[in-house]
Amino acid sequence: MKKRGKGMAAAFYGTGYGNGFPDVSTAKVQMNNRGQVSVCIGATEVGQGAKTILTQIAAEVLGLEMKDIRLLCEDTDTSPDAGTAAASRQTYNSGNAVKKAAEALKNILLERAQKHLELPSAHGLAVEDRQVYLKAYPKKRVHFRELVGEEPIRVEASFVAQTTPVDEETGAGAPYWPYTFCCYGVEVEVDTETGIVEVVRGVCAQDVGRAINPELIEGQIDGGFAMGLGYGLMEDLHLVQGEIKHNRFANYLIPTALDMPELEKMIIEDPESTGPFGAKGIGEPVMIPVAPAILNAIYDAIGIRFYEIPVTPEKILAAIRKRKKEGNCGNDFER
Amino acid sequence: MEPLNIVGNRVIRVDGRAKVKGEALYPQDIYLEGMLYGKTLRSEKPHAYIQVEIEEGEKTPGVVKILTAKDVTGQNHHGVLFKDHEVLCSERVRRIGDPIAFVIATSEKAACEGLAKIKVRYTELPAVFDPVEAIAKDAPKIHGESNIIYHYRCRKGNVEEGFKNCHVIVEREYKTSMVDHAFLQPEAGVAYWDQEGNIVVCAATQYPHFDQLEVAEALGLPKEKVKIINPAVGGAFGGREDITLQIHLALGAYLTGKAVKAVYSREESFYAHAKRHPIIMRYKTGASKEGKLLAMEATLIGDTGAYASWAVNVMRKAGVHATGPYEIPNVKIDSYAVYTNNPFCGAMRGFGATQVPIASEQQMDILAQALGMDPVRFRLFNCFRVGSETANGQILHESVPLERCIEAVGQRLFHGLR
Repeated sequence: MKKRGKGMAAAFYGTGYGNGFPDVSTAKVQMNNRGQVSVCIGATEVGQGAKTILTQIAAEVLGLEMKDIRLLCEDTDTSPDAGTAAASRQTYNSGNAVKKAAEALKNILLERAQKHLELPSAHGLAVEDRQVYLKAYPKKRVHFRELVGEEPIRVEASFVAQTTPVDEETGAGAPYWPYTFCCYGVEVEVDTETGIVEVVRGVCAQDVGRAINPELIEGQIDGGFAMGLGYGLMEDLHLVQGEIKHNRFANYLIPTALDMPELEKMIIEDPESTGPFGAKGIGEPVMIPVAPAILNAIYDAIGIRFYEIPVTPEKILAAIRKRKKEGNCGNDFER
Repeated sequence: MEPLNIVGNRVIRVDGRAKVKGEALYPQDIYLEGMLYGKTLRSEKPHAYIQVEIEEGEKTPGVVKILTAKDVTGQNHHGVLFKDHEVLCSERVRRIGDPIAFVIATSEKAACEGLAKIKVRYTELPAVFDPVEAIAKDAPKIHGESNIIYHYRCRKGNVEEGFKNCHVIVEREYKTSMVDHAFLQPEAGVAYWDQEGNIVVCAATQYPHFDQLEVAEALGLPKEKVKIINPAVGGAFGGREDITLQIHLALGAYLTGKAVKAVYSREESFYAHAKRHPIIMRYKTGASKEGKLLAMEATLIGDTGAYASWAVNVMRKAGVHATGPYEIPNVKIDSYAVYTNNPFCGAMRGFGATQVPIASEQQMDILAQALGMDPVRFRLFNCFRVGSETANGQILHESVPLERCIEAVGQRLFHGLR
């Protein structure tokens, strides 16, 4: 018999190294007299979209298009240290470093434009189409090429996250910042004959601070959901005396596209004042509520709670058999 | 929010085209003139003293050099937090999969043949695979005097008093499994001397600047003489934070003068990189009749296997997130990181904060049922809001849209359809 159930889980996640450890990202931004910009930052593109996000941030600040900016992160010689591509910290930390460096570059352009345009102040100047112009009188404008000489403009900036160590006895402190929040719900169908759990629907409400790129956020939610589904239902290295028995994809099962339900993704925006344009990291949070939501949904479907993951079909069948034998009514609290 | 032009748009990813067209260069794709191939000999025992004989291996046709601990020119160690890994094990192995020797040959086939002729004599030591057993005083020790690496404590309010006032109390034990990142691209890389006399390592990594430090220290070179090139990365999820083949390749190139390449099989990849910490989680959570969470007590025991990697930070993060996103006035959390002879665990997506909701979010549903409360309403009643204080006493002073997230799921999945 196929039984359906629904479950949810909420989570929070603190970004960064935390605990007062210096969490630093450094970016170098350079502009030549053709208005071309290179951003050098050692923030690894692991597939999460760092190169795109950081390019968007620089383009936004400088009023340029994506194609005007080259982002280099692949070489320790050319790119400064931006910390590890982990802890959901690259959008927040390195995004801030790129934003600061791009803003410093922009300020140099504005100062030079003020002189070039013989203005009494740099206030009210803005950038667009590789030009600096006076917002109150847009005819007053100058192209970047007039402002950058033979020697490119080079700036470097760092961002350092703010946390404190926790007290060793009480844990008191501010160990991470910022925190990202989410709540995911799922509907499952449990086949009581085969023990197979199919996740038929997922609803994902994800706080992002402010979305830099909704497409990439949705991609992360898809990936995080798949990873959480595998964690809850499939994945186990099956250790025997320290030996990994499931050491191939023939027996270490991970989800395929066919295991994925249609997801309804809701990007919840509430800008974080210390984030670049209000953005927070989401790379890890998108995975966290998936497995516990599935476990709660399985309980809702068949009235059996599982205290160990993964909840494989074998475990489901064994639990159903055990319940039949014991004639348990399935009231979880009075187990 | 201020209006923006590019931020907030569905911009197509800048690395997308090359990846879709198969043009992106992954470390495995790199071929250099006259390069050599490396294969790693790994421990077959979880805990043992070793004696290694390489003479027969080195005589194998095509084998250029076999590296063992003696060949490490700098410090024979690495590790993100503690330098508890050896580049190549000198006297003792602590897990199945520990690297013992690195065979460098003119072809992959020759490297495999040479590897098969290395003799390793194991003198087995008592091993421990259960983190609870590993805590016991008389348990075999993996490093130093105690297997407990770290103990995180959180004490807020008074849990004894808090539980006295609870209408319902739920006590359960949960357990998560050890899992792998299963990224798409197994470890691969190539190292060589460049024209300026630097050692260059091309390998996919999450943190090139840290690899640079670790490679330099193991080779005994100043950091400036080592360069890391990080080509396209086929997924990471935390599995590329610890060193795997970078130092072996660098040392091979440094000592042979030639480019050295290695590509792990999927099976070797499973042994080479860190795993997700399995955690045993004992939870006791209580709420008032009205559904207010009043007290929570949790003990978390995380198995980090044979090496610490990020164990301290992972089990701290697990401890900090153990309450779930709810205000609880009385909290007592103890989170331990423990060595065993299992595969080593380190960073993986969520980093301790992924394990604890397996417990805390099921506790929430069990409590809601016991109280006869809707799980959506129960969460909304207790969830963090702007101004909330965490178990650490941290004030969440802005950007806390959790209520909106819970309401959205409640409306779309629960109430809207019921």
